Parts: sequence; structure tokens; C-alpha cells
Amino acid sequence: MKIGVYFCNCGTNIADRIDGGKVREYLEPSGRMSYFKTCPFLCSEDGKVFLEQDLKDEKPDRIVIAACSPREHEATFMRVMGQAGMNPYLMQMVNIREQIAWVTEDPEKAVKKTSVAINAALKRVELHEMLEKQELEVSPAVLVIGAGPAGLKAALTLAEAGRRVTLVEKSPVIGGLPVLFEELFPNMECGPCMLEPVMAEILHGEHAENIELLTMAELTEVAGYFGNFEVKIRQRPRYVDIHQCIGCGECFEPCPVSGTNPFNNDMDEKKAIGFTFMGALPNAPYLDPTLCTRFTEGSDCSACSAACPMGEGVIVFDDQEQIIERQVGSIILATGSTLYDCSRFDNLGYGRLPDVKTALEFERILASNGPTAGEVVTSTGEQPGSVAFIHCVGSLDDDHKPYCSGICCQYAFKYNHLLESKLTDTKILHLYKEIVSPGKEEYALHRAARDNHNATFIRYDRISDLAVTGENDGQKIRLPDGNSINADMVVLCPAVVPTADTEKLGAMLDVSLDRFGFFEELHGRMDSARSKIRGVYLSGACQAPADIQKATSQGMAASGFILSELVEGRKIELDPLFASVYPEKCAGCKVCMRVCPYRAIHFDEENSVSVVNGVLCHGCGTCVAACPMGAIKANHFTNEMILAEIEGALK
Amino acid sequence: MPEKPKLAIYWAASCGGCEIAVVNLHEKILDVDAAFEFMFCPCLLDTKKKDIEALPDKSIAITLFNGAIRTAENEEMARLLRKKSQLLIALGSCACEGCILGLANLHSKQEIFKAVYLDNPTIDNPAGTIPSPASEVPEGTLTIPAFYDKVKTLGQVTAVDYFIPGCPPESHQIWNVVEAVVSGAQLPPAGSVLGAGCLSVCDECERVKEDKKIARFYRNFEITPEPRKCLLEQGLLCMGIATRDGCGAPCPQANMPCTGCYGPPEGITDQGARMIAALGSILDIGDCKGKSEEEIAARVEALLDSVPDYAGTFYKYSLPGSIIGGRVKR
Repeated sequence: MKIGVYFCNCGTNIADRIDGGKVREYLEPSGRMSYFKTCPFLCSEDGKVFLEQDLKDEKPDRIVIAACSPREHEATFMRVMGQAGMNPYLMQMVNIREQIAWVTEDPEKAVKKTSVAINAALKRVELHEMLEKQELEVSPAVLVIGAGPAGLKAALTLAEAGRRVTLVEKSPVIGGLPVLFEELFPNMECGPCMLEPVMAEILHGEHAENIELLTMAELTEVAGYFGNFEVKIRQRPRYVDIHQCIGCGECFEPCPVSGTNPFNNDMDEKKAIGFTFMGALPNAPYLDPTLCTRFTEGSDCSACSAACPMGEGVIVFDDQEQIIERQVGSIILATGSTLYDCSRFDNLGYGRLPDVKTALEFERILASNGPTAGEVVTSTGEQPGSVAFIHCVGSLDDDHKPYCSGICCQYAFKYNHLLESKLTDTKILHLYKEIVSPGKEEYALHRAARDNHNATFIRYDRISDLAVTGENDGQKIRLPDGNSINADMVVLCPAVVPTADTEKLGAMLDVSLDRFGFFEELHGRMDSARSKIRGVYLSGACQAPADIQKATSQGMAASGFILSELVEGRKIELDPLFASVYPEKCAGCKVCMRVCPYRAIHFDEENSVSVVNGVLCHGCGTCVAACPMGAIKANHFTNEMILAEIEGALK
Repeated sequence: MPEKPKLAIYWAASCGGCEIAVVNLHEKILDVDAAFEFMFCPCLLDTKKKDIEALPDKSIAITLFNGAIRTAENEEMARLLRKKSQLLIALGSCACEGCILGLANLHSKQEIFKAVYLDNPTIDNPAGTIPSPASEVPEGTLTIPAFYDKVKTLGQVTAVDYFIPGCPPESHQIWNVVEAVVSGAQLPPAGSVLGAGCLSVCDECERVKEDKKIARFYRNFEITPEPRKCLLEQGLLCMGIATRDGCGAPCPQANMPCTGCYGPPEGITDQGARMIAALGSILDIGDCKGKSEEEIAARVEALLDSVPDYAGTFYKYSLPGSIIGGRVKR
């Protein structure tokens, strides 16, 4: 076997410390090396030309390149090999710069170390195999789960790039949480108005035909992997033909039954057929079969249908649940967040005292399309003379959620600002553990709240230091110092937590959850829009508590990943450095399955052997080390290669 | 009648279990007798060493050699039988990889003698006599075989044609080998393992394997295992995943975890290291995100503490034949 060694001087970086000539003398007697060539800068344009020509002239079977870290130039040299017509995996690189030249004082020792390292590479490279990148056809279509700000921006970005998007939303309405908010921090913009242009683009815009919006729908099954997911979506019946309905609302009035409206946190009622709230999009009501007497009593009421100016057939009483199957190449999770359950804090009275509200409930009270039409009133219909905002409920608390959700201070100061203009005499109390307001615009509301002469700020350490009790004329809050203060209304600002479906979706997609139950990102700083499963991306508050800016940015970031990773018409290249199971050596113990961080291993029950999916495998080698049978081979890092390398270093 | 091929069974440092496994062939032993001239077996026959020395080289067709090499005599007999035999077969775990007595390699010869001849409460040895290859007595010099510093495998002192693993080997597997030799079937290349499979015990164990995630280990007496579920998954330290098959998995199927007597699977050089590598991947210390290093270390420690005896568990049968071989003295 003809093995050539290329020794790069790296200018003086290597040559100053390591004498290439002496290394050559040291290695020659072993007879493993067919030739040894030195180059001043192998990565330079001249160096690459030299290497390419030399490979063409010498036609070696294998080469060893002694130069810098493979992290720096392995890919460079592999490309040159490819240009020279040599399989790029028939090379072993030895890092003699960072690992030897830069860290070894004594030139004698440096020569010896270099020789040992090259000898190890010579032994190893003999065993290298020709590996080829493989290609796989992919679907460019995308599934987006959740039509809040993150999901909407993602879907729109992708649709604008010509991608087919299936946008799945569990509720009958799109827009996520902010569409319920009258005004938004930090600039007091109207939530629905701000989202409306995006939602309109999704529904009727230039690229709307690329977006298939499925409301009242949930993902139920996923098979396949990056590039080729087969998904099943269950869509509940709306009983209203969304395409024929013009959203006039004539059907509500005649409906004889009503129930509490979950979109107003059950603080008011809505008819069995109706909008979640005025202005909800898509602009079509939905019929709630748990209220409608046709379903609850088997009646033949058709008051709504009779009132429909568009005629019969717009309200579809025999609408059925549908299972929709789609093939997509990637999936964006944008399922958002909710608030920590405040009824866990008995001392705060939530659920017992009618005027203790959560932030979400207070948002609806503030909203002009909410239960009180935007009037801030207590349960007795009075304007509150005092309102207390309790920040950090369940946050910064090891017994509940140890993190800061980052948005609560902002909206609490927004409330302060709104109250100041709506109820000029109302006293405001902020009870907080910590206050955060980073960002270029965010401090304005904080300062305004501080400047509000009606506002008082009191710090507390532990939530148990507070106690909210009912009084005849409102609530009394016991403060940490033992004093009490009255509040006609108490608004709790709880920790932001993942939605209830997060765990189920995570299990379905094999996407891991972090210790707080949010979807776990690939890397907290560098890759927060990617999950650990290839082809599944994360956007918005399902990954971590987020404001709208972060959520939309992440939605677009996920879209960017998809546009670069799954390009229409371009097959995905599979790195050949993946693991594979020798089926004849596998005893079926299943040790490997648990250890794979990428869920790339499945069990072939018929043959009772494990199988590694080369598309999903990242080539990390964990299963190779774990397999007690030695039945898993890591391409380019076989046990034989590693042992040969060790032997070469020791002998 | 043509002369029958000669068969020898020798024991070196061994317990006699391999002989019992041979006798457990039951009536098939008559077939062995019909096929071979069973001419040397210190456990059963009165043939002497000098009778073997008197034989021409290679005149014994097969020697089944059981037991490890503990003394100079063991090695001398191994070399003698190698010379006189056409096929020298290592029979059983001791000859193949050193077996339980190989755990003595964790101690020096001096420590062993001290424990056995001096500190042992049932020994009355006021003179502090310990065995020595040569002892001077009034009548002259008494000699006994030297006790080696380390237990060795048969393969470490002489060339071995085949290996039959097991402690002891299953009788039906001994028969399979004998039958293959008698039938004149094409034998695998020298150095191969005979009378065993090429996978691991899991392949023969019918217990259901699912998710391997082990939060702690239990000693056998601590739990009654669920009868159909993989024992390792239930926290019993079953060596089956890193042990060659061929035994038929009788232990795990009788609720006893495999202790690894059939040695490493095909192609694996170090059974203990393999087992540890595999366990290292499936031990579960819970979610460690955000936990302090001390807490993580404490959890690891607690889990490892539930392994009763590292060497005696992972290298119960294979220490002399493993890469580490034993304790290294410096």
C-alpha cells in the first residue's frame, strides 16, 4: 500500500519547533511510509495546487497530512483530494501544530512526539475505507404547529419563499395569546391590530394559497424522519363552512343556548354558535356541540341555519371529524405557553376570591371585546379603588419555577399605565421579588410606573410571606412586614409555563423536554430554534418564556433553517460518518436504543436486531461504545482503526 | 481392529466441575468410549505422567485440558500434553480465560500465602511455614511445584487449537465438539471457540427486552424479579449482554442473572470492559440539568455503590485473559 505523508511547515508555526527532516528520518525505518513531502503552507492556494498535482502524480493509496487541527483544514484538504480524484476519506490528519508545535518546548521531544503521532496515523490510515456521501430525496413541505405569533411568522415566511405549509391550530381562532390582548408592551400597540396584517396575509394574501390552515386540529401521529415525515392530523368538526361563511354573526342571536366562554376565561357567556371574541380570525363562528341542543338533547333546532343570510349549507350539522395525512420534510413546533396554575397558592385566594385574577383574565377585562367591554370593574360591578399586582407568582421559586419568565414585569407596568389613564384615582400596588426590564424600549413603562404617584412598590422574598384574604369590601393582603393593605382587585402575574400538550407532542416527535417542561433546544445560545431531532424546529414560548419579538424572530429563524437545510429540488447529502449494525452480530439486547441521543436506532422485531437510520445518525459513536457485542460499526472510526492508531502510538 | 484414537482429559488448577460436565454426557459417554481410547484422566484413571512422557509426540488425538495455570506443574503438564497431542482443546472457563481462581491476580503470591497459611483462623502454623519449591528437612530436600505470581490461561503458556468456554461447559456442547471431531467434519480455523454461539446470552434468553435504563442495582436476594422481563432492566446485574451464548441461557430463565461464565462474545477481547462500557451508557442518575457537580457525583457514587463487587462481577471469569490481566504492582 502506497502511503504518502505531507508535512506542512505552517510558515514558522510548525517548522520553528519541529524539524520535518528529522521526523522523516525517524519514520523511514518502519517502511510504512512511501514518501514524505514538506510544504510551506499546505492550505494556501499554492499549497492546494501542489497537493492536487502531487496526488495526481504520486497516485497514493492513502495519505497522512501532518498540519493544523482537522477542525481548521480537514475539509479543505478533503476537497483537494476530491479534485485530484482521490476518495477524501482515505486521509488521516495529524494535528502537529496546536497539539505539538505550540505546546512543546524541547525540539527533540517535539520531533519524537510528531513521529509517534504520524506513525499512529500511518497505522490507522491503512484501514481507512472509501466512503461516499449518499443523497436522499426530500419533501420541501413544512408542518407548523401552533398559529400564534411564532407559527404565523414562520408559516408566512415559508409561504413567501414558495413553500407549501400546513399550519395546524388547536383552537378555532388564530393569533395565539396576544390576539386576546387589547394593548401590548412596550409600545402600547393594539394586539389584534398588530397581528391582523400577518393573519390577513396568511388567510388571503398573495401567498395564502401555499398555506393550508387547519384550525381546531391537532397532530396525532408522526412517522419518518428529517426530509420525509408522514404526519396525521385530526381536525374536529367546526359545523360551519369556513369558505361560505361571511362572518356576519346573524346566527348568534337566534341560538337558544349559551355557556361560559373559555376565550374570556369563562368570565362571560357565549352562544352555542359564535365567535370566540369579536374580530376573531378566521372570520367564521364555530358551533360548540357540548352546548348545541342538536347534540346534547338530539333536538332538531336549526335556528342558526335558518338565520344565515347565505342560505342553507353554511352551517353543517353533520360535519365530521377528519383525519388529514400530509407528507412534510420538516416540522416547526410553535405551541406557545400558558400561565402557571395559581390555585396552587392557597394563600393567594385564587379560585376562592372572585376578585383575585390571573394576568390572562385581567387582559380580557381590559379588552374592549372582553367580558366587560374593557371596563375595569370588580365582581360587584364597581370600579376598584385599589388594585394590587403580585409579580413573580411561582417564579424565582425552587418549589415552583426557579426561572424568571421575563415578560411579567413588562405587562404589569402596562397594566399600571392603562389603569392610570382609565381610573385616575385608583391606587396601584406592585408586590415583587425582582424587577426586570431590559431592552431598548422596555424601560419606558417601568419608569412610567415608578413615576405614577398612585403606585406603590413593595418587595417580598417568598410568596408565603403574602396572604390574600377576603374582606367585606374587597381583599386584604398581609405584607411581609406583618402590616396589611386593602385591594379591591388582585392580579397575579404567574410564571410562564409550557402548554399542556407539550409533553405529548414531545413524546410523539421524540423531542426532549428541558427540566422545566419546555421543548429542549439543540443549544441554548447558538441553536435555540432547533430541537435535538433533525428536522424539528422550535419557535416561540414553547422553547422558553418569550415576548412577541422573540417568538416571531424565532419563527423566522426556524424558517431560515428550513430554507437552508431543505432546499426544493436539492437532495440532502448524508455524511457517511454514521454508525451501522452488523445484523449477524446483534443479539438484540437493546442497549444501544436508549443511548442514542438522536433516536436514530430502531428495533427490527422480525429479525430481532437493532437498525441505525443513517439519515438521523450524527455519527457520535455512543452506541458503538455501548454495544456489548461490538456489533455496531462507526464508519471511519472502527474499533480496528482506533486500536491500530493506539498501537501505532505505543510501538 | 484398528487402534482407536487416544483421548486425554487433564485438570490443572481446577475444581473438577469440567470432569463432571463430561460425565454428565450420561450414556453418550459410551459413544465417547466407543470412538476413543480414553487413556488419561487423573480424576478417573490411573495413568501416570511417565506414561504420557513415554508416548511418541502427537500420539494423543485430543486432549481436553481444563483448569488454569497456577503452578509450575500446571505449566509443565500443559507443555507436555501440547507436545503429545494433535489437538489441544481448552475445556472450560479456567483453561480459556482463568475463571474464578483468576481473581487471585488481584493479590500477590505473598498476600495469598499470608491469608491462607498464616492469617487463616483454622490453621495452626506456629512456625509460620509457607510452601516453598524446595524445603530442607533432615531426610533431604523436599520439592513441590512452584506457585506462580499470577494465574495464567492455557493459551498464555502454550498454543491451543480450540476453546470450549463455560463454567462448566454445558455437556451437550462438549458432545457437539466430540461429535464434530469424531465425524471428521471440517473444523474451524485453529484458535476458534467451539461448543458455543457467536452472539450473546441475550440471543438465547427469552425474556422481553425493552428500555434499558437502570436507576440502581439489586442483589439477587433483594427482589423477586418479574418472570418475563429482562433481568438487567429490573436492576439485577445480568452479564448476559456481554457474555457469549451457547449455554441456552439457563440461568436468566431460572430468575438468576447471568454471571458471564461463557466469557466475552466473539470478537470481544475484554468482557468486563465491554460490560462496563455498556452499563456506563444505560445507568440512569436522573435529570442532571442544573444540578451541582457534587450532587451529580453523589448520584453516580450511590448508583455505583449498588454494584456489590466490581472485579468479582465484571471479571468473575475473565480476569487473567482480559486486557488488564490483574493488579499491576509497581
